Amino acid sequence: MFDKDDVKEKISSFLKQPLTRLQDDVLLTNLVVESFILVEMIIELQDEFGVGLVQEDMRHVKTVGQLTDLLVSRKAAATHA
Amino acid sequence: MLDENHRWLLSFYRSSEISGSLFFGRLARSMKPSPIQADMTKHFSDEAQHAWYWTSCINQLGAEPIKLSSAYQDQYLTAAGAPSNMMEILAITQIFEKRVVNQYARHSRIPGINPIVRETLSRIMLDEKWHIQWISEALQAMEPKYGKDLINQTLKRFYEADAEVYRKTTQEHEQRLAHL
Repeated sequence: MFDKDDVKEKISSFLKQPLTRLQDDVLLTNLVVESFILVEMIIELQDEFGVGLVQEDMRHVKTVGQLTDLLVSRKAAATHA
Repeated sequence: MLDENHRWLLSFYRSSEISGSLFFGRLARSMKPSPIQADMTKHFSDEAQHAWYWTSCINQLGAEPIKLSSAYQDQYLTAAGAPSNMMEILAITQIFEKRVVNQYARHSRIPGINPIVRETLSRIMLDEKWHIQWISEALQAMEPKYGKDLINQTLKRFYEADAEVYRKTTQEHEQRLAHL
């Protein structure tokens, strides 16, 4: 299992941003210069944490907190299924 | 010598090829070794070469490319939303590649087209057909994981987004594209 901090560490490493910048309410689009980088990061996070997402899952994800919550809850749901 | 509308259009093609190459290049780097990664590697090298073909073509016609701030595919994320997995990335790319082939084929049918431009279009279209083929096969191989219905729905959604982006692009650059 993993928690929100694990996801944030991975985001920090991928985007080369300090963890202190990755507050829950920070918009993901404010962390990158172009949106394609977010696409790569979402793919990498799914690989890293063994979670599968589709576009619909991401429709309402705008912030760091929403993304980390989504990954953690998906993993928990899959584990308990 | 190229007129300004032609120079803009060829530069637009060039810019889109560069964007495609960079995107697939980064994606390939982040993937584990697999047949998809192997094909993606060839794909992004093709796109980089296409950009070079366009640079060479523009130069042979006595001009320099124009630096454009955004490429056609940049608008996809706004229109269709960002893809979230490899299937969605391949689906959106499949639609984009079909658009490219259609656009290049349409361009190559212009009466009196410059032979250097026609030759460049023909060279690129050969590669683009392979791009469509490998992606189509990769999507088929993903059917057990995602389901054929979901893949078809995804393709349909991106097809509709592409139609919207194309309509907006042709409207925005109506004068530049009038000769097509």
